[in-house]
Amino acid sequence: MAEALLPALALVLTRWTMGGGAAAAAPADWRGALGAEAGEAELRLLALAGQLLGALTVVEPSGDVQMLPDIPTLAKPPLEPEQRPRARRLMLTLRETSQRRALLDLLERRGWTMHPSDWMPGTNEDDLPEVYSPWQDWVARAGPQGMDVEEDISAENWDQFGPAARRVAFAALRRRDPTRAAAVLAAKIASEPPDRRLLFLDMLAAGLSTADAPVFEALANDRAPRVKIRAATLLARLGQADAGSEDAAELAGFFTVKTKGWLRKSPEIVAQELKTPTQRNRRAALMDMLTFGALAQALDLTPKELVEAWPWGGDVQADHALAAMVERSAADAVVLLAAETMTAQATISLHGLYPLLPRLPADWRRRLALKVLATSGGAFMQALAIAGNDGEIDGVVATAAGEVLLSELAGRSDGERTGHAIELLAIGLLASQAAAVQALEKLAEAGLIASDPRLDMLRLNAALDPKGTKP
Amino acid sequence: MTVNLQAIEQLATDQASLKAAAGLAKPAKWSGIGESHDAALVWGECAGSGANPYRVMADLRDLGSKCTCPSRKFPCKHVLALFWLKAEALAPFPAADAPDWVSDWLGRRRTGGSAKVASVAAEKDLHAARIAEPDPVEDEKAAARREAASARRAEETEHAIIDALDALEQWIGDQLRMGLGGLIDDVTARCRRIGSRLVDGKAAALAGQIDEMPARLLSLPTGDRVRGAAVELGRLVLLARAFRAEPSNPEIRRRIAVAESRETLLTDPATLRVKATWEVVAERVLTRRDGLVSQTTWLLNLGASGPRFAMLLDYFPASAGRRGSVFAAGDQFVGELAFYPAQAPLRAVLLGRETSDAKDRDWPEDAEPLSATLTAPLLAEPWVDAWPILLPAGRIGFDRTGAPWWRGHDGAYILPVSGQLGALATGSELSRTVGLWSGSRLELLAARTPWGRIDG
Repeated sequence: MAEALLPALALVLTRWTMGGGAAAAAPADWRGALGAEAGEAELRLLALAGQLLGALTVVEPSGDVQMLPDIPTLAKPPLEPEQRPRARRLMLTLRETSQRRALLDLLERRGWTMHPSDWMPGTNEDDLPEVYSPWQDWVARAGPQGMDVEEDISAENWDQFGPAARRVAFAALRRRDPTRAAAVLAAKIASEPPDRRLLFLDMLAAGLSTADAPVFEALANDRAPRVKIRAATLLARLGQADAGSEDAAELAGFFTVKTKGWLRKSPEIVAQELKTPTQRNRRAALMDMLTFGALAQALDLTPKELVEAWPWGGDVQADHALAAMVERSAADAVVLLAAETMTAQATISLHGLYPLLPRLPADWRRRLALKVLATSGGAFMQALAIAGNDGEIDGVVATAAGEVLLSELAGRSDGERTGHAIELLAIGLLASQAAAVQALEKLAEAGLIASDPRLDMLRLNAALDPKGTKP
Repeated sequence: MTVNLQAIEQLATDQASLKAAAGLAKPAKWSGIGESHDAALVWGECAGSGANPYRVMADLRDLGSKCTCPSRKFPCKHVLALFWLKAEALAPFPAADAPDWVSDWLGRRRTGGSAKVASVAAEKDLHAARIAEPDPVEDEKAAARREAASARRAEETEHAIIDALDALEQWIGDQLRMGLGGLIDDVTARCRRIGSRLVDGKAAALAGQIDEMPARLLSLPTGDRVRGAAVELGRLVLLARAFRAEPSNPEIRRRIAVAESRETLLTDPATLRVKATWEVVAERVLTRRDGLVSQTTWLLNLGASGPRFAMLLDYFPASAGRRGSVFAAGDQFVGELAFYPAQAPLRAVLLGRETSDAKDRDWPEDAEPLSATLTAPLLAEPWVDAWPILLPAGRIGFDRTGAPWWRGHDGAYILPVSGQLGALATGSELSRTVGLWSGSRLELLAARTPWGRIDG
């Protein structure tokens, strides 16, 4: 019946839109009910028409209604309901991407994932633990429908993977068969956008071998300068330095190599005094641009000799720049040697150390983080930056830095115990489960109440039993 | 950590607060009392005059406190009563983990020293507060005079409302004559004018509905606004006519003027009282144009008898600041509600609640066929703008233009969905869905999925 009335009502609505009486255009069946008085008839018609238009004219979808695929189940289960509110609150309050990433890593290490109604990756969020890649693809609506991710990625099926799944599949192949992975990448990397070309290059950095050289050589003239430089530095790690260039000779000119010692002579590098800012800028630019191997060669030193002869702690900027060169382009053994040389000294030169962190193994970084905490001036945020997202450190508060923090907290009255939120967050991200339980006990002794929101991360950590394998 | 009576006396802003607190310092007025394991925090819920109980929380270390009531006194009588219960051990405070709402408050709190002790305007005394004042004796003549005055006031109110409704119908007729196109272009100013006239004519609830009309109309797609305006104005005509036909009908009066007070509702023996297990489906907080904030809580009856849904509605001034929620969505509890009389009872006040041990009971299946759920209120209350519905298993998808639609598994119904949708709402089966259905649009309130419950 409603369908029969609609044409008449369309006319009524048109009259009312412009203004004026519409009763004359009312559906014939209704006219008797409208009455004779003109004003009254309009109101009655409005009451009738309003109800019909409000309820019985449900719009139709345009075209078919398509359902999205189910949000995929991840390889690790979502958090238990008791832990979800705390994790959700933390995800909302942590402002920095790196801190959110650290929380996701903590969950993942213990064998858990976020619940999809508490958090889903944003469309542009790339830097996430691998376990979330099915969600990244779901969010990007590029999910590999029916694609068996267990199947090895190859040049032929490359395009069938969604971007995140492609990265995961490639990482898996790289772990299993590095040479074949390099061959697949050499064939397909040109089809990826620049940002992803960089990501794939970085994925080759672990387990680098001469079989990877063709990939880097193919990118020697890449359109994107960043990709070009990254490919060159990785090639340099393979020992294929851009030796003998004028730039390398110019950089070597900023330093002199002397010998020291009587019985056993060893080289010693002395930096030339820089007289003008222009000289300082030029030296920094050259160090940014050149590879470690090129400098060593220009100074006529082996990479090992260059690290040992360097005057660490003398010039903060130069230390940082050289460490960055090592990180970018030196072999793994040289990276470890540089880290050892720096940390062998009484006070750790963090400026030099920071650039090396991405290439240091997890146990190394944990050891360094503990070393920072063992000094009474050590800060937990620094330790977190060093330990990265591998955490799981035992006895985090049973350190000199922990004692300082606890005594500061204990010495204050209730009203003044604010602040320290960053430190408490860092402890929560660094600690192993046992260390988190211990830290909570010590903090309670220092007078913090259990429901203090600054302890959220620690309480979450303490409550997360390792479900998967502990690192 | 503890609190003593002397501290309560010092905290109170005046003797009246203490007197009021004395009346509330009785275990029967409270539910959900607890304290943290380290005895630093205490909390509880106290029944007030609103539909929801007030959440009261305090930090015994510095006597800082917070209550969700709209009182401007700080601390309010509820906080004082909670301290009183604690100080004199009038009720047990079982140790428990602090609920989220207490933790949230603690997180936002500025801890800058201990709570300020109220400036002493006059000596305050707990003992004086405890002495019950005898009810004034009233003679028969005075009572009769009072009743006559009350009847006269009611009659005056009714006349004022009828006059206001005359003005409203006149205004609606003018809009039709001048064109709904013009109304839409100037909807805010025109609605404000007739809204003020209705407030003067004691039709406050109707004025509130008209105040919100511009926002509702302008949220529609441009091509749909004339139809929307005809629907809105048509509802006003229906409501005005209903009032003229039956001015004493409480349900219609509530929509036009004001709701009965909680006391009136509770003293009426005909009031429908339902004790059941309820789930908090959703809460909506809206700041209205008139400076009031409305807080609507939707409850789903998980039992077999009684109304399927209940709506708790409270208003408080926006100037009172942000109020914490009384409930968290997803909470399940056994509680007794008193429903305002209506053909399809929905609005209610909460009389008391017990914490439910039965965690996460499943949602029931609606016995009514979907066709009836979607249209029944159109006959009972044709002026209602949206009502809660419980939908069977279905899923949300998108049409070619990207507009979301809910489709039942049997394929018989496909309903347009409005508002923002979370990832799980579109990437999962919805075994049950609760939404507000306006007759043409579904606003998702909550749903159950294989991943658990989600909020709309």
